[in-house]
Amino acid sequence: MRHLGVVVLATFILLPLVQAILLSFTATLPQDGSAQGAIGLMNYRSVLATPELRAAMVNSFIYVSLNVALCIALGLPTAYALARYRFTGDRHFLMAILVFRVTPPVVLSLPIFILFSQFGLVNSPVGIALVHCLFNLPVAIWILESFIRAVPREFDETAYLDGHSGPSFFFRHLVPQIAPGIGVAAFFCFIFSWVEVVFARILTVTGGKPITMAIQAMFSFRTDVGMVMAMTCLSLVPGVAMIWFVRNHLARGFTLRA
Amino acid sequence: MRPHDNRAWLLILPALTLLGLVGALPLLAVINYGFHDIFTLQDVYWVGLQWFTDILQSDRFLASLGRSLLFSTLALAIQVPLGISVALLLLSYGKRAVWGLMLVALPLVVPWNMIPMFWLGLIDAKTGLLGPGLAAVGFDWKFTGWHTWTLILAVDTWHWLGLVVVLAYAGLSAIPPAYMQAAAIDGASRWAVFRFIQLPKIAGALAIVFLLRFVDSFMIYTEAFAINAGGPSDATRFLSLELGEEIKGFSYGQAAARATLYFLIVLAVVWAFVAATREREA
Repeated sequence: MRHLGVVVLATFILLPLVQAILLSFTATLPQDGSAQGAIGLMNYRSVLATPELRAAMVNSFIYVSLNVALCIALGLPTAYALARYRFTGDRHFLMAILVFRVTPPVVLSLPIFILFSQFGLVNSPVGIALVHCLFNLPVAIWILESFIRAVPREFDETAYLDGHSGPSFFFRHLVPQIAPGIGVAAFFCFIFSWVEVVFARILTVTGGKPITMAIQAMFSFRTDVGMVMAMTCLSLVPGVAMIWFVRNHLARGFTLRA
Repeated sequence: MRPHDNRAWLLILPALTLLGLVGALPLLAVINYGFHDIFTLQDVYWVGLQWFTDILQSDRFLASLGRSLLFSTLALAIQVPLGISVALLLLSYGKRAVWGLMLVALPLVVPWNMIPMFWLGLIDAKTGLLGPGLAAVGFDWKFTGWHTWTLILAVDTWHWLGLVVVLAYAGLSAIPPAYMQAAAIDGASRWAVFRFIQLPKIAGALAIVFLLRFVDSFMIYTEAFAINAGGPSDATRFLSLELGEEIKGFSYGQAAARATLYFLIVLAVVWAFVAATREREA
């Protein structure tokens, strides 16, 4: 009975993925050297041979890494402040980041475009990295805060008594202590940013397209579905790797405090 | 008890500045646009509340609002209980549960615009793995309204179940074993254990699941548009699809007014939810 549930769940989750992987190895349009319906690596070869698609992978890597780095760098001090001190307006701050997290991206897309075009941030991975902080920074703060809170206060006090200054305590004691938390925060920021399409679309008009938009551009009158699926399957690899790295810490999640 | 120290604001300042730039500033701009008719950025006229009254009085808006609320309700009603059940199921596997968590997290890393493509490929009547079977039982997602609804709900559940499971599992696995042992000694039923021990312990995690899933399903666009673009005959015309049409049609003033309204609706729901949660805690 228990195992049956797992089998049903696995089938539901895996079926669409299996279909996509099958298609990615199938020639869905007749190409030179392979007939329609042939099985092989031809789609992956054509993806890697297309300069725009290679550039898109680089763009995605740049903006996601930048976004994760920003969220962790700004999230850590914020989470520390929230976990260790009470201050005037702390609950309002928590409410405010909740509001930012739940603001639908489509609501902000137009002014973001106008604002960013004035600063030359359109068509650049930096623009996407900045705007994705809107929903990722709150998530990073929630996760890091729950991990820092789990570290006893005495830990901070001992370090200070040992003569560590603020920054040295932070990087040499606290950061190693909550390393799994940083991993989980990075994971959630990564997945929310890697797959996002609304801001990615509005901020990349002519260039700097990330993977999501490069795939979008592959749809045409005669779409090579096999190649689209090959590109998509390649785009899953970093995500799956991230899942693997944080697998033992995934079950720490984050909770609402507002 | 945490000490009171307003210098903590210095630690928060960088994050607050960035959120102000990419969040608060654009939000104020969009509210401002909503009161104007915008031809080009240099050619802007004050129209007051006209867009708002236009939208609020149109039957199409109310119908879309109803559809979006119904969709969110269904999505939450399916995904939250299902996610908790899967989390409980995984919990019974002990250490091996991590494989289940990795499994359900997979759909989360698929680019959003490809999720509908995966499913359309799967149910393609000729080449899909499920296509011929579904066609044989008369499943017609293109022209039968409730079939389209079923498909979009299935796709949305596939996409987001992992988030519910991961967060629910996180809450459940944090319960000290002593609680369970005490319940076992008292001879508590499976239901009583869930209702009085497990559910209260995962309430915090569920709150964030509820809010995130509400907002994302309420504003569903990518999946709904790619699957049937609001059809058949407007059966899946959600709020976000109407906004998308206006942005594509360059009526920016009206689109901004609409965006402001959507934001206010979301804000009202979030506020009501947080207020209710606090009251329960107090």
